Amino acid sequence: MSGTYFDALWEAHVVESLPDGNDLFFIDRVVAHEITTPPGAIQIEREFGDRLYDPSAIVAVNDHVSPANDAATAEQARHLRGWAKRHGIRLYDVGDNGICHVLIPERGFVRPGMTLACGDSHTCTLGAFGAIAFGVGTTAQAGAMLAGCVVVKRPAVMRVRITGALRPPATAKDVALTVVRTLGAAGARGYAIEYIGSAVDAMSMGERMTLCNMAIEAGATTGLVRPDATTRAYLHDRGEPYADEERWFAYAGGDGAYARTVEIDANTIVPLVTWGTNPAQSMPLGEQVPAGASGDALAYMGLQPGEELDAFEIDQVFIGSCTNSRLHDLRAAAQILRGRRVQVPTIVTPGSQAIKRAAESEGLHDIFADAGALWTHASCGPCLGMSMGVLAQGMRCVSTSNRNFPGRMGAGGRVHLASPVVAAAAAVLGRLPTPAQLAELTGDAVCA
Amino acid sequence: MRISGKVLALPFDGIDTDQIIPAMHLTVIEPGGLGRFLFTGHAELAARLAAAPDSSILVAGADFGCGSSREHAAWALRERGFDAVIAPSFARIFLENAYNNGLVPIVLDAPGIAMCAASSTLEIDVESETVVTASGERFAFTLDPLRKSFLAGGGYLQYLNAKIPSIRAWAAARVAS
Repeated sequence: MSGTYFDALWEAHVVESLPDGNDLFFIDRVVAHEITTPPGAIQIEREFGDRLYDPSAIVAVNDHVSPANDAATAEQARHLRGWAKRHGIRLYDVGDNGICHVLIPERGFVRPGMTLACGDSHTCTLGAFGAIAFGVGTTAQAGAMLAGCVVVKRPAVMRVRITGALRPPATAKDVALTVVRTLGAAGARGYAIEYIGSAVDAMSMGERMTLCNMAIEAGATTGLVRPDATTRAYLHDRGEPYADEERWFAYAGGDGAYARTVEIDANTIVPLVTWGTNPAQSMPLGEQVPAGASGDALAYMGLQPGEELDAFEIDQVFIGSCTNSRLHDLRAAAQILRGRRVQVPTIVTPGSQAIKRAAESEGLHDIFADAGALWTHASCGPCLGMSMGVLAQGMRCVSTSNRNFPGRMGAGGRVHLASPVVAAAAAVLGRLPTPAQLAELTGDAVCA
Repeated sequence: MRISGKVLALPFDGIDTDQIIPAMHLTVIEPGGLGRFLFTGHAELAARLAAAPDSSILVAGADFGCGSSREHAAWALRERGFDAVIAPSFARIFLENAYNNGLVPIVLDAPGIAMCAASSTLEIDVESETVVTASGERFAFTLDPLRKSFLAGGGYLQYLNAKIPSIRAWAAARVAS
């Protein structure tokens, strides 16, 4: 076979090639959450009656503000709940839910060879399973629910080869930030990314999800990792096999057919932190804000070129989000917080109820509580400024989430993206750590 | 379709959808009531909008609409009276959302953007795909011919609805094989 894995998988889902480079593209599974689904569901009902293409192909999750904050968010959750019940759609709700991008894999709803769409840009997380998964708008999600397809332009395929081996305290988050920094915030627009190489092969499924989660932050349609033994081991006791998933486990070939190849050496990856207002504006921990940095971004962040971020007191730490709320992320944070006290309000939010219970069975909740951190229920949390830790004007937060956009976590709030290791260290210090401080806290060698 | 109106120039790259409409306002189950929150995610953008309250054509920087998939960004722009956005490039999801909501997404190169941003008003002919500045400079643009047919409103779902029989036939054949 000559095409890339992505191309072959794409072609297996093209119902019809439409004029002008668009495809009528079949979606095996639609993920529906309470923020972006109700307007589309209402539009379908109004224009087409109460019918859907295949309710069994839809999984609904109340996750963004769960439980509800107020009457408006309660109405959103109620609408999703009622709509799901009416159509016999599986719903994960308060007490048994989690961030949809975390919960879907955990319950085995993503399998190699599948296509998934959701009204949420971080749907690309699911590419970690060798699926094509991408975010769409509410109308396009409604179309997938009504007709089983989306109209979409096929992206070119970029290969990001990450060779070598990652060295602690660098983590998968630092790999993701390095990819975005290398490509630029719009550098992968029009592309899908296939992540390959020894450092990717060595990653757990959780780490691969962290990597794929941030493909959208480089503007990519999606990112994916081909399925392998790690994928199979993760999925073996979760969900039902997808019809032809063995074909995708066995898929070989694709070399040379990539529109672009980017090489990254994992041996050189160090813990990164963002200084600016998009996820590509990052630098190694301990470096100075670059001289050529965007003035607008620095003005928003209250920084000057040449400054060191560890000089600034922070106001909050958030450990969670669809990027970094899985068990290994929580363990990494707990390792640093164990026996220490946080110096600033620190919110730790597991990605799902199952992760919360697993973490508690290991005693992680006691470590967080003993350290003075808040251990919450599973939710998207403060990542998008809707609940549970919204920032006020000028507040500075070190966050393991994926977006440091202006206003993302609250109007005027300043977000520094980093790994759970760096964020936990920042919680203990009340400011971003220097590499030496991080090494002392982790017990790892000082990063170069 | 012809569009004419005053220009709001926001010459910044990477205006993401959190800046266009912050998530705290995504608490509706139907579009509506979002226009007043347009650009409140960034004080500078909000101030420029306040200074040009009757503008209806936005001229912006590259990668407009990146980030979150929220269609609320397109809804807020429409509700606030915007009929077109002119930019060097658009993020994929926003571009699709614009077409699905009758917001004409126009890509021009840097000289075209500069001239449009400097013009107080613009005239856009969607059929012939041209934009003309107040002083008469004319720029051609290209819309996606299929999605152009969705601009009238409701077209995307109607288009897919008509495809359902052939989609079901395709899916049945896939299972059979």
